[in-house]
Amino acid sequence: MPIVKIDDTDFTVEKGTSVLQAALANDIEIPHYCYHPALEIVGSCRMCLVKVEGMPKLQVSCNTFVGDVPSDKKIDGKYDMVVSTQDELVQQEQKNMLEFLLLNHPLDCPVCDQAGECDLQDYAFKYGNAHSRFEEDKRVRPNEYLGSQIVINHNRCILCSRCVRFTREISGSSELFVEARGYNSKISVLEEKPLDNLLAGNVADICPVGALLSTDYIHKNRIWNLDKQPSICQDCSVGCNVDVFHQKDQILRLTPRENHSVNKFFMCDKGRYGFHRFEEIERLTVPMIMSEGGFIETTWDEAIEKTVDELNGAGKGIAGIASPFHTNEANFMLGRLVNGNVGTLPPITSEEINYPSGFRISGDRSPNRHGMNDVCPSIVDDFASAVERKDIRFLYLLDDGIDRELNELWKGMLEKIDFVVVQSYAMTDVSKCADIVLPGQAPFEREGTITNDMGRVQWLRPSVTTKGESRPDWEIPMLIQSKHAGVEGLTDVSSVMNEMGKDFAAYSDITFFRLGDQGLPLNGKAEE
Amino acid sequence: MATIVKSYEPTFWDRLYLPALAKGLAVTLKHFFRKKITIQYPDEKYVPPDGYRGLHRLNKYPDGKIRCVACEMCSAACPADCIHIIPGPSPWEDGKERFPVRFDIDLLRCIFCGFCEMACPEEAIELTEIYDFSNYTRDDLLIDKEGLLGVYELTKDTNYYSRPNAGQDSEALTSDKF
Ligand code: SF4
Ligand code: SF4
Ligand code: SF4
Ligand code: SF4
Ligand code: FES
Repeated sequence: MPIVKIDDTDFTVEKGTSVLQAALANDIEIPHYCYHPALEIVGSCRMCLVKVEGMPKLQVSCNTFVGDVPSDKKIDGKYDMVVSTQDELVQQEQKNMLEFLLLNHPLDCPVCDQAGECDLQDYAFKYGNAHSRFEEDKRVRPNEYLGSQIVINHNRCILCSRCVRFTREISGSSELFVEARGYNSKISVLEEKPLDNLLAGNVADICPVGALLSTDYIHKNRIWNLDKQPSICQDCSVGCNVDVFHQKDQILRLTPRENHSVNKFFMCDKGRYGFHRFEEIERLTVPMIMSEGGFIETTWDEAIEKTVDELNGAGKGIAGIASPFHTNEANFMLGRLVNGNVGTLPPITSEEINYPSGFRISGDRSPNRHGMNDVCPSIVDDFASAVERKDIRFLYLLDDGIDRELNELWKGMLEKIDFVVVQSYAMTDVSKCADIVLPGQAPFEREGTITNDMGRVQWLRPSVTTKGESRPDWEIPMLIQSKHAGVEGLTDVSSVMNEMGKDFAAYSDITFFRLGDQGLPLNGKAEE
Repeated sequence: MATIVKSYEPTFWDRLYLPALAKGLAVTLKHFFRKKITIQYPDEKYVPPDGYRGLHRLNKYPDGKIRCVACEMCSAACPADCIHIIPGPSPWEDGKERFPVRFDIDLLRCIFCGFCEMACPEEAIELTEIYDFSNYTRDDLLIDKEGLLGVYELTKDTNYYSRPNAGQDSEALTSDKF
């Protein structure tokens, strides 16, 4: 394999690796704008210039590839390529390029939402000149809407064309193009074809500067005020890896997190803006019990006691409804509580969308159907239609959440059962049919593992704290089960994972530590 | 190694105490005829020099628009973490897109270091010469946007304390202005 020397260090790289890739993979910074690992290389920004020994001019490192050189032509008898990123000429050229890029730039970082995570800001600070020699009037253009969610500030655009390539290569919808030439060029859309595909939000992420902005986040906060929590999107069964940006228990935005086994670099807008629907809900934070006049608040002790009493009285007539919206741990504890007699509600689906780049938005809107089926092996789909209901006297239901609407069949069934426990975070359609409602966690409060539809187990981490007296979703069935069976309860979610591993071999080696940021594939035993 | 310090043995003159008394009185007498530097506060107000770091204000443009663009540089620079800003889109079509919807300063935490005015790219926040803004409750020492703009009106033209009726105004400032 070729050996490349970058500055003073030698690296052995695959043949055909670009100098920029080789450098980035080894934590050597070469400033760059137009290069994005998911997109075609165009070499247009000229920011990534390096000096390559034997070449008369500086080369763009994103488009210069390391190849095998015949042994008699090797430099110093050893290297296939010798690169300098710190050469004086390189440094001067970086200064010049930045000066060009900033000619018409408004330098309005104080009002720019990208400030703090802006490549232009960072590189200008690190590699640029501290002053500008441009004395003429700057070119000023008004902001424009490219689609319903994306605004462009033309003045900040550096015409790297990442956004254009994204719509061509990733979403395949080709809405964006560069209009006009030279000094007059700008990013544009056709009026009859605005940027309104379901991946549009990604262009704001890949724009290296603050030119493309999401209307959802614009002027809302500053990036350094927000805490970033790596987590998993819970809006479909693909399970895109995301970063949740939040402040004071309020979520402000979601951005995709790189995971080459799942979503690569992107996420869809359903997931990106999906968190808003949990903002306005009236959160259920205390246990509620049905009495003559309707629901009244009660304490946890009483609620659990009552549930255990009913459970004891029901004898063999107990069943549970697992939820593909809940973690493996919650479903596992539910399965234990009802002796594996588990069903589900009908699935919530939408159309599956496949993009030319391979990006997929699943038709199954629930994040953990695979995992639920793994840890509740004898599960009955659409329970109400499938099961003779007169022998069930106690039903423990994990609620899917606010997106769930109940059909008449289900309502009728729930009415007939003597005692229905619903674990939910809001007064949903389902909670209203309960005899007792136990407050669990809302989606961004949950912690545990979820398994996506390709069988990859991922760590769902909580981004906001659990509200009020609500308890972790796995803990509530655990408390009831341990009290019912008279055994000692489990103390934390890791011990639940441990127990789960004992029962289901596929999950036996799963720990948070091993899952890390990227998750693990199931070892295949669960499918047997 | 021990050092032996000899104690001072007062002489006869020292023990008389009269020369010391005379010396002390001489100082008193000297000051007796000098110009008085005591100020009869609060009847008379001390006028701080330019650059004094007192109560904050939020500046406006001559046309009345707020200079601040809610960039939160000041709150990032603030070592006491006492500036709280909620930004939003600006209500004006003047090219400045951002605007502070809320701008609160917790004066109890502020250490009047002036980092906020140094950090501000818009020259929007400034510390004024006002120093006597004590109050009876903690809540009244949380100053909001309206309060800060009010301080601007009070201080924009002249030094707050060199105005003719400075004494009366400061009463108004401490109670309802914040
Ligand atoms: S794009 Fe970057 S450099 Fe330009 S104003 Fe925004 S933060 Fe500053
Ligand atoms: S809008 Fe952003 S991504 Fe698109 S060309 Fe301009 S700088 Fe590049
Ligand atoms: S003067 Fe210092 S402590 Fe007070 S608000 Fe400004 S930066 Fe913060
Ligand atoms: S006062 Fe200045 S530094 Fe503070 S938010 Fe406003 S413009 Fe930014
Ligand atoms: S990153 Fe190499 S030319 Fe733009």
